[in-house]
Amino acid sequence: MPAAERTLTIKIREAAWLATFQDLGREQSEALGVPCGGAADQHSASVANILVGNPRTAAGIEIMGGRFTFTTSKAVLIAVTGAPADVTVNGNKVKMWEPVCVPAKGRVVIANARGGMRNYLAFSGSLVTEHFMGSAAPEARMGFPQQISAGQHVELKTSYAGFEHPYLTQPLFRLPVPVPSFEHPVWTIDIVVGPETDAAQGIRELLSSREYTVTAKSNHVGLRLDGPVVHPEGLGEIVSHGVPIGAFEIPHGDELIILGRYRTLTAGYPIVAFATKASLPMLGQARPGQRMTFRWVSQEEAVEAQHEAQRLLNALESRVQSLFGAIDLPHHSRLVPSQAAA
Amino acid sequence: MSTHPAPGQLIPLSDIQDIKAVPFGDSALMVSIASGTVEERQSGSRKLREVLQDMRPHGLLDVVAGVDSILVEFDCLAVSHGQLAQTIRLAAASRSFEGDGPSPTGQHFVIPMVVNESFAPDLADVAAELGISKEAVLAHLEASTLTINLLASAMAPMMGRVEFPGQVSRCREPRTNVDPGSVMVAGTNAIIQPFPGPTGWKVIGRTPLTICDIREEPPTSFKPGDTVRFKVVPESDWERLDGQFLRTDSYTIEEEH
Repeated sequence: MPAAERTLTIKIREAAWLATFQDLGREQSEALGVPCGGAADQHSASVANILVGNPRTAAGIEIMGGRFTFTTSKAVLIAVTGAPADVTVNGNKVKMWEPVCVPAKGRVVIANARGGMRNYLAFSGSLVTEHFMGSAAPEARMGFPQQISAGQHVELKTSYAGFEHPYLTQPLFRLPVPVPSFEHPVWTIDIVVGPETDAAQGIRELLSSREYTVTAKSNHVGLRLDGPVVHPEGLGEIVSHGVPIGAFEIPHGDELIILGRYRTLTAGYPIVAFATKASLPMLGQARPGQRMTFRWVSQEEAVEAQHEAQRLLNALESRVQSLFGAIDLPHHSRLVPSQAAA
Repeated sequence: MSTHPAPGQLIPLSDIQDIKAVPFGDSALMVSIASGTVEERQSGSRKLREVLQDMRPHGLLDVVAGVDSILVEFDCLAVSHGQLAQTIRLAAASRSFEGDGPSPTGQHFVIPMVVNESFAPDLADVAAELGISKEAVLAHLEASTLTINLLASAMAPMMGRVEFPGQVSRCREPRTNVDPGSVMVAGTNAIIQPFPGPTGWKVIGRTPLTICDIREEPPTSFKPGDTVRFKVVPESDWERLDGQFLRTDSYTIEEEH
């Protein structure tokens, strides 16, 4: 059996441009006017937790830009996912998208992220942090910033007590990890029709044939893209209504907005498409300058893609569970597959 | 329509149903009442929201309230658009919708507000638009028993109906930053700004009370269906009430009879 749980301290040395506690977001909060929030790239956040034997919904750290460095006096088990980046433990390069055994007196650096916007860092165990409406995800507007700064000491409760492989400094786990590709300079994002697609004559052809570029005005509320748009015609005033994550809005100006997880919950702009649920994690990684095109799919294809994404996560989760069980590493015993955000 | 039901009176849903459910992406449905007056569609969608939150159909994740619609977010691996739409129609048909008005189990709040030049920058505009005095605007607000219809952005209580003699328009240019506690009106609705932020609503006063505090559990004392009366209080009361968390007993009006 894994060792008893103990509490240790993670000392944050460098805090990137922005680092926050993060998880998959709030459940049932939107009925109360609070956006679900949570990791922009839910796939990477989920995989990081799965790789350290945590429930997918455990709190981790979301890192954007620059260098993030921490030290630990005791051994910890971590995983880093998200945009390709350089990760080192005591100066030695280690792999992303794998469990990483950090020895006592370890120094971990995550830097030079490229091709995407965010990295996710998970620790085996639970990080000690505040929760608001059941989630560690930031809600800055309501006074819950959750930002992590250099010099901060973060407490971790973990049953991991170190793991020594007889021959290798880092054991090879060979897990079936679904790693998204960040290589292509132009991303293809799957979309389904929206209520005002037909009213915007020509938008179908534009979205599937032209290139759109993410601009610097983008944030966690939504991505703003440069590219050709047409304004829907013949619509009366659209009264405020709820808008899902991934809605493609055309505001008054010539731009396209793709709403993110911290969107304002209601809006009155025409909606010409929706990103599929399975394509949202990639959108959560888009940086200013990122180019993308769109591909129309049917609702059935959209659901099928989400099925496949979840199947891969479930397969990884059960492999980690049997592996960690076999080599006596702590793991969260999964009761039912989470139907939540991921 | 002249058949506006009295509060608490039951009307069978068949009178107001005709529920429209449109896919909004692969994991949401936009649900609204397809017929009836604006008021009927608004109260109908509020009742529908209560029914859904009460029965929580399989696969339901969350519900976002709009002015006259609800966005129903669901797990697309658990249920399809068609199945969920059918469940919603059945759920609605199997229940009688209560008439418009406050929830029978609702609480009542009296919310003090202070009105001065800096707290009520739009009061003169509202008075001019309605063709009445500033005092009359406030008198109409104070005389209205408002029902909280939904919690809007950041848990802001959106309330109706203010007994104004007409509709109040929104600001032509939305303000970029309005202070928390601001009491605002648009149409015949009122809302209180819980946190600093932008808004296009007209600001006619400010409450010294804190209406939402994430350190409280729950962060607001009120919920949809509760009722509210506003009470204009002298500026000298501000200091005593400043920052207190709004509860049903935060401020009491002496019995008037």
